[in-house]
Amino acid sequence: MKSLILKDFYNISHNAKSILIILLVFAVVFLPSSGIQNYIFICAILCSMMIITTFSFDEQSNWPLYAMIMPVSKKDIIAGKYMVLFSFSFIGVLFGIVAGAIGSIIAGNYFQAADAAPAIPLPLLALIALSCSTVFGSISIPLVIRFGAEKGRILVLASFLIPAGLCYIAYHALIFFGLNLTENLKTILLYCSPVPAAIWNYIMYKISCAIFVGQDLQ
Amino acid sequence: MTEAILQIEHLSKQYPGFLLDDISFSIPKGTIMGLIGENGAGKSTTIKAALDLVKKDSGSVAFWGQELSSSKQLKEDIGVVFDGVNFYETLTPAKVGNISAAAYRQWDERLYLDYLNRFGLPANKEIKSFSKGMKTKLCLAAALSHAPKLLILDEATSGLDPVMRDDILDIFLGFVQDENHSILMSSHISTDLEQIADYITFIHQGKALFCKTKDELRYRYGIIRCKTGFFDTIDKSEILACRKDNCQWDILVADKEKAKRKYRNAIVDDATIDDILLLYVKGEYTK
Repeated sequence: MKSLILKDFYNISHNAKSILIILLVFAVVFLPSSGIQNYIFICAILCSMMIITTFSFDEQSNWPLYAMIMPVSKKDIIAGKYMVLFSFSFIGVLFGIVAGAIGSIIAGNYFQAADAAPAIPLPLLALIALSCSTVFGSISIPLVIRFGAEKGRILVLASFLIPAGLCYIAYHALIFFGLNLTENLKTILLYCSPVPAAIWNYIMYKISCAIFVGQDLQ
Repeated sequence: MTEAILQIEHLSKQYPGFLLDDISFSIPKGTIMGLIGENGAGKSTTIKAALDLVKKDSGSVAFWGQELSSSKQLKEDIGVVFDGVNFYETLTPAKVGNISAAAYRQWDERLYLDYLNRFGLPANKEIKSFSKGMKTKLCLAAALSHAPKLLILDEATSGLDPVMRDDILDIFLGFVQDENHSILMSSHISTDLEQIADYITFIHQGKALFCKTKDELRYRYGIIRCKTGFFDTIDKSEILACRKDNCQWDILVADKEKAKRKYRNAIVDDATIDDILLLYVKGEYTK
């Protein structure tokens, strides 16, 4: 699996400069108005979306065909993609923290979000950003495997809308069943967010495996 | 055939508009098996089904007596080269080496660098600047550097100039000097196979028409060339395939010496693999 991850990092390193420029432009645009909290989320989600680009590279070179002649299974290939997604998200969060901190100091709003609700500790914020970005990225993987990188890119909106819709439904269901979402409870839920994110990622991994295992490689 | 490295039995795979039908052959140790057939005959599908890249509908494939899915070690012992490079074009041979080294326990970095050197491939130049021949050589270097015992080549020499093809064929011949090594090589360039193959399996419209030693094809098969009047006198049970070209019939027979004795007034030529392929593919009558 190490080889699969290495291959994706080599491939994406070619785009590293343009991604860096985009993240820095976003820093200039969003840091003064939205603060570091939102910027970390933006970085994490943007970096997680690079997973689709890796599929695009694979498609162009017909990599899966070659990968399957190496001593790896189809499940290893999918597991490798999820590892890469996690790594991209992690790098995005780290970049968001470092660039966000530097930018915030320069902008004079260090660790302050505009109209921020209760301040969330930075480590927790990073964890939530990591969870969210992997949730968004993970749904794009089965979509891209099923429909291809180009169509999957169009369908990527679904990877935002589906989890957001599910959260919205869950939120209103809780209210419907009379559960009062106090600030305290919201904080607890946020602390717990990596757990549903991990479950979500596992389900998406299983779905991706089921799709990919059934595919012929031409 | 004894001690088969690869044994394919009754392999079938159906696609809309195409059926790979009941393919069987085996590759003994130390030999080169050539798969020939026209474009779209089913050579690549056979190879992909054997490698589990496409799901077979029926049949069995065994490498050293085991199914490929049963052990990852089996894949360590198989080197595969497809037509074209499967690495993204911004990678370099050095990075391809690092990726392969991480994949194969048997990877030999020194051997890989030797191959790069021998093939004249710059280690740090991006693949996109390589010619078709250089890309094939890179794939071959990667395939040979994890000490495979079986090389599978799917149209690996197509699109190469004769000099490069000759270089690569020499490498294949060198590879099978080790009697534990074998090669399965598909190509529609029959002269390549004529040069190096020990066995030929001919696939036509998804069916394996025959699997024979190359020597049997070269030294026993023949082509009777005659006019229509003479054609009518020939025992049809002896005809494998025939084709009418203007006023002349070309008739493929399995025993040219017997044909020479029986039809003394006819011209009986040796049959090249190309002749055999053409007669089967374009022939009016086959059995």
